[in-house]
Amino acid sequence: MTRTEFEVLNVIVLKGMCRTRAVAEVLALPESAVEETVATLERGDLIGRVGELLVPTDAAEPALVAFAAAAYGDLRCDAESDRLHERFEKINAQLLHAIAAWQQIDVGGHKVANDHSDRNYDEKIITRAAKLVERLKRITGALGDHDPRFLRYGERFDAALDRVDRGEREYLSSPGLESVHDIWFEFHEDLLRSLGKARTE
Amino acid sequence: MSSVDHDSPATTRWVYSFEDADPDDVALLGGKGAGLSRMSRAGLPVPPGFIITTRACAEYVATGKLPAGVTEAVRAQVATLEQKTGRTFGGGPLPLLVSVRSGAPVSMPGMMETILNLGIGHDAAVALAGATGEPEFVLDVTRRLQKGFSEVVLGSDPDVVDGAVANFALPAGGAPFAEMFDRYWARCRQAVEDDVGAAVPADPWAQLRVAVMAVLRSWNSQRAITYREHHHISHDMGTAVVVQTMVFGNLGSPSGAGVAFTRNPVTGERALYGEFLEHGQGEDVVAGVADPETIAAAAERTPEIFGELARIAKNLELAYGDALDIEYTVERGKLYVLQVRSAKRTPEAAIRIAADMLRDGRLRPSAAVAGVSADHVRWVERPRFDQADLEKARADGAVVAAGIGASPGQVAGSLVLDAERAVERAKAGRELILARPTTSPRDLHGLIAAAAIVTARGGATTHAAVVARALAKPCVVGCRDMSIDEKRRTLSAGERVLQEGDAVSIDGGAGELLVGSVRLSRVGAGGADLSLLMDRSDAASGCTVLARVTTPAQARTALERGAAGVLTSIDDVLATTGQLVNLLEAAVRRGSGDGALTEMHEAVAEAFTPLLTALNGVDIDVGAIDARSDESGGLVPQALLDDAPQLLLPMGDPDMLRAEMGGLALAAERSGYGSTPRLVVRHVSDPIEARTIRRLGEELAEGRRLAVGSYLTSPRAVIRAADLAEESEVMWIDVRAVQEAMFGIPTSQLLTSEPLDGYLRRGMLAVDSQSDIDSVTYELLEAVAEVRKGRPGCRIGMRVRGRVSDAVAARLHGLGFRLFAVDPHELRVARLALGKAAWK
Repeated sequence: MTRTEFEVLNVIVLKGMCRTRAVAEVLALPESAVEETVATLERGDLIGRVGELLVPTDAAEPALVAFAAAAYGDLRCDAESDRLHERFEKINAQLLHAIAAWQQIDVGGHKVANDHSDRNYDEKIITRAAKLVERLKRITGALGDHDPRFLRYGERFDAALDRVDRGEREYLSSPGLESVHDIWFEFHEDLLRSLGKARTE
Repeated sequence: MSSVDHDSPATTRWVYSFEDADPDDVALLGGKGAGLSRMSRAGLPVPPGFIITTRACAEYVATGKLPAGVTEAVRAQVATLEQKTGRTFGGGPLPLLVSVRSGAPVSMPGMMETILNLGIGHDAAVALAGATGEPEFVLDVTRRLQKGFSEVVLGSDPDVVDGAVANFALPAGGAPFAEMFDRYWARCRQAVEDDVGAAVPADPWAQLRVAVMAVLRSWNSQRAITYREHHHISHDMGTAVVVQTMVFGNLGSPSGAGVAFTRNPVTGERALYGEFLEHGQGEDVVAGVADPETIAAAAERTPEIFGELARIAKNLELAYGDALDIEYTVERGKLYVLQVRSAKRTPEAAIRIAADMLRDGRLRPSAAVAGVSADHVRWVERPRFDQADLEKARADGAVVAAGIGASPGQVAGSLVLDAERAVERAKAGRELILARPTTSPRDLHGLIAAAAIVTARGGATTHAAVVARALAKPCVVGCRDMSIDEKRRTLSAGERVLQEGDAVSIDGGAGELLVGSVRLSRVGAGGADLSLLMDRSDAASGCTVLARVTTPAQARTALERGAAGVLTSIDDVLATTGQLVNLLEAAVRRGSGDGALTEMHEAVAEAFTPLLTALNGVDIDVGAIDARSDESGGLVPQALLDDAPQLLLPMGDPDMLRAEMGGLALAAERSGYGSTPRLVVRHVSDPIEARTIRRLGEELAEGRRLAVGSYLTSPRAVIRAADLAEESEVMWIDVRAVQEAMFGIPTSQLLTSEPLDGYLRRGMLAVDSQSDIDSVTYELLEAVAEVRKGRPGCRIGMRVRGRVSDAVAARLHGLGFRLFAVDPHELRVARLALGKAAWK
């Protein structure tokens, strides 16, 4: 598998199912280039199609795992990678709490769906999330020294937060979009696979 | 030298104390400033403070310099605070500490967060330690200042300060506090400097100046600018800066801090409710640092304090006209109110509070119901388990697995064990409950297809929980005992083994998965309180609201929930008995014979008799067969439409319409309906069509009567409403259909029926025709409103499909419309919205 094939397959596996255009947007590549790679992956039986949607086959994840083990050998040996993972787990817990607080408000011990009528409450959470993204960017920056593709995450987060600031609140945590939560979740999977670690939950 | 006044005619006044400010001048003082001013002037025990105006900020932003006079004015106000509080800023014997906050007239992101405990410098700290006799307390305040200031103003990592002083031990000997403080401060300083290359100023006045400037600069933070541009807010507005005396809930006794609700936020009960963290500060309560006690418990110890709080709560409620939450601090037995806001509440509490306030009668009805939203009503109306059946199921041991209730709701459905199968089976229209070991991104489409989710692993913040809440679906996570075998297609928990496809039920609030289908409750929740809101809303709005139904059972339920009548259609009713397509085919192929139409006449009569019986004379408006009705979702096969294109025209087959009319009128007679049903024809847009309908109506057999008319779905029709009204006894307007024609977007997209692709393709959410009526449609409806005024004999109604928003209700009510038909689940939402519109 080439590096480009890995990156394209990685996006498809992380998203679960997506269109070619979505892959192109995530990787900031022209759609035509992605289409070529997609065709190769299809021939190699690593992805299939459901209508316009690209879907990973059962062989996809093992292929990614193998590639990551080979490509990130030096990253895994570096003691810093453990520190990066630790730092991530810490801010990960904080971000998930922020998202939970975004979705549900504590009312006298009961959780009630946030109807987003209290802008102060919402703003505090967005500020918290933005700060956590900044801290995450320090981590992706460090990873970026090993593989520049990680730097793309920072750009994607900035785009999502920009949309949130423009009033498109669903870009904080709604599933199926490039929302802050979705990108974060994908990064988490990506990080674990790159470091060869398992999820702790 | 009490309040030094700089208010000479030549100089602008840049700074006001809470008492001197005009609380109505939000533009000058900002929201927070105005609120604090209002409370101070009302005599509430608010810690004293002052406000640097938005004007000062605007000047600063425009010129790059703090306006002349601001610094002096601030010094003068600090001097005033010193007088009022008996404390000294930056020194002793008792130091004055302050908080610094931003507060724009309009809330926006990017504004600087609050800094607390400002004013600790060497001298102040030593004095404070001496005055309180509590050196640990002083060091703690120092830590809080360092942490907050460095994070908020300098941008440092919030953990570096805590990390730096984590094992700072107070020396056992009798080392002077001054030395300890200096070492403590130096440690904090070093950690912050290592992190961001800057430090918290050691001099209290410098701290104040830097903090104030940081607030003013935050007006032009990137996020604030983006927000203002997007919301068309002037960049000249500026933010105010609020400087307020700190009070300490963690100093002395009785001291503490907490939040009080003027009514129980969970049940709505009329009783002071909340928490008190003894020896805690406000930010500790928020951070969940320790477990507070209930106000009831605290009140037993210090009844006078909480008695005062209860009195304040009562008065504030009347003044604000709403249930409130009050942040308060007790410092050495003295109560202070820090902040007052509209209280968050559960949907049940919202309804109860509104009902209580209406009964109480002291508030205007519009104020009393302002706390109940459409979503509150929807939540209370949602399908839920019959409580008795649920309890019986539990008692019978039906609970298969228990975990954390991550997203509330109760659903019964069939078990499915992977995302692909969920997507497949959802297409067949099944309610599915998806069970997974954990969630991965692969499962998203299964989560969308399923009605509820349960996972073996994970907690309330897990991906599955986040997605489920975003989709407003019930979700239970962390069912440790549960395991799934994808090969065998089984779910095991303890001794039990379930097969994929088994009937199961899930309670997302309680966090339980049960075997079997728990029955759904027929009665809506909300009880007497919701009924009161409904009755008062109906009385105020003077509106008649019908429910769109298809079966007698639905009609009965709708009437139980207060529908004033029903709207239905012949095609829907015939479809429920499976006859629609056959009857249409026969009618289309009838040639010159009458047999097919006689059959249709009889079928309509037979299908409608039970429905009319259930109604007992209550209003019924019926749409004639509409072969292309998108409300019925494509019941008629395309092949038939190709053969018989006349079915697509409102008056394409007048004889068939005559048969439908006859059938409906016959049903009225057979059922002893007792009133006159109404029949309307969809898509009519020409007065000649309407006239033909009228004449057909007149041809009914002796003694049988229908009121007849049109159901408008196009802009053309609405433009011709006046002419149509001349020929119609009744006229319905499908508001969404008209909007859809305006936008050129199919209704199914406007109503977000969430097909997979539509969900992924979010662009269309920008078109939010659900929440308001576009200006062009509105103009057309204005003309119809005129028609209505001129023709009181013509019954004109508004059909609003999907969700009924307050804005849409207000617009239509404002135009004078008083007859509505809505989907059954929106019935009570609509009635409340119309009441609110009337009370405004």
